[in-house]
Amino acid sequence: MALSCNHIFFQYPGASTEVFQGLSFSVKQPGFNALFGPSGVGKTSLAKIIVGEITGYSGKVNADGMTRLLYSYNLERLPDWSSVGRHLDKITPDSKDEHKEALVEVFGMTDYMGLRFSQLSLGQQNRINLMRYLLQDFELLIMDESLANVDEMTRESIILKIKAMFPDRYFLYISHNVVEVSKFCREIVVVRGPLKQPQTLSLTGIDLKSHQSVDRDRLEQTMLEIMNAA
Amino acid sequence: MLPRRIYQFLIIFLLGIAVLFAVKYLFGLSDYVIPSPADLRDTLAAVYKHYGADVASTLSVAIIGQVVSIFLALMVGILGRQTTWFGSFIKVAAYNVQAYPIVAIAPIIFILFGDGFFSRLLIAAMICYFPILLSVLGIMSEPVKEIEHFYRVTGRMRWQLEVKIRAFENLNKLTTVISGSATLAMAGTIVAEFIAANAGIGYSIRIALYQSDLSKILVALFLIGITLAIYQGLLEAAGRMIGKGVTVTR
Repeated sequence: MALSCNHIFFQYPGASTEVFQGLSFSVKQPGFNALFGPSGVGKTSLAKIIVGEITGYSGKVNADGMTRLLYSYNLERLPDWSSVGRHLDKITPDSKDEHKEALVEVFGMTDYMGLRFSQLSLGQQNRINLMRYLLQDFELLIMDESLANVDEMTRESIILKIKAMFPDRYFLYISHNVVEVSKFCREIVVVRGPLKQPQTLSLTGIDLKSHQSVDRDRLEQTMLEIMNAA
Repeated sequence: MLPRRIYQFLIIFLLGIAVLFAVKYLFGLSDYVIPSPADLRDTLAAVYKHYGADVASTLSVAIIGQVVSIFLALMVGILGRQTTWFGSFIKVAAYNVQAYPIVAIAPIIFILFGDGFFSRLLIAAMICYFPILLSVLGIMSEPVKEIEHFYRVTGRMRWQLEVKIRAFENLNKLTTVISGSATLAMAGTIVAEFIAANAGIGYSIRIALYQSDLSKILVALFLIGITLAIYQGLLEAAGRMIGKGVTVTR
């Protein structure tokens, strides 16, 4: 399995400029990888092209061996007619009940499962939304700012848990947090504006795992590389 | 809310009566044109039971007509929500048909079905059906992307769930439209009765018109207004109760 995009050209209908002009990149190994870049550069558009939510582009997206590609984003909501716990029960396959219990605990949501979505804070809402995607069958999950409004400590433990629980899945983490991306991601695809060629640069992150400590010099070096590439 | 609706109606009605009396006394109009307050009081005492029963008859037809039109509008709105050829056809047909005045079709209905209960019901339902349909179509055609996305990409979306999400997210709009359509249903029934029916307050108004008896017409208007104010107030209260039951505020 590998994910690659080759010579993607895309322009929104009615727009005067192209979002992508021959964009190419590949992610060769499963794990926690990142799409990084300044706001408005087209990360969300690229994510939607990868999962097939946007059509009308030219070029090729290869997701060899992957049939279930999911895209989650931080503005999603759960219906408010029942508690988030009941919603999770309904969308969790029986085989994943153990996963659910583990995720509820790591995501710090144990005390909130009886509440409705509108009663949760923004960070809790994003966590519960991400959890339901993680409980589905998927080979690739794109997390578009999925941990926004979550405090740094919880975010770190969530990312480490995801990496430990799903080592054979592909993740594309879209975030503007350069420290987080440098620290936790394996391959970092930096997306640049359409005037810059190539439109993406691939860098290697630290890919920190549980119980590992981060090398500060390496972290700073990676962050510098990302910032220079963007 | 219910007492407020009644106060509002009483204020407007009394203002209208005051204007009528002002015109009467300002221009020295006779009691045949605009009745005196004493005439109005006597007429009220004489006809309120009879007219009350007529208003109740009209209201019952209006309520049945409204229920029928809500049910039909929901059915057609749910079918028309789709972005398919059929959905587009239903939407275009609904927009075009609603532009045609139902009152103009009313004579055909009376010719075909007579001047009984069914004709009144049909006209009442038709008059309040299209505004409800347009609202339901608008609500049901508009995806709630931030909720529906998950169910679509995971293959869980069914039409029942789609309708449930859209109705739930627009519950306030729906209850407002439904309570607002009560006026239309009542107006539709009265218009039908006024044109050709053989019962109801519209029929009594028609007779009063032939007798040139403004007192009776004013009494009828008062009873219609107060009944409608109470009915709408009750519908709004029911809408609020439903809203409170399903919505949790922080």
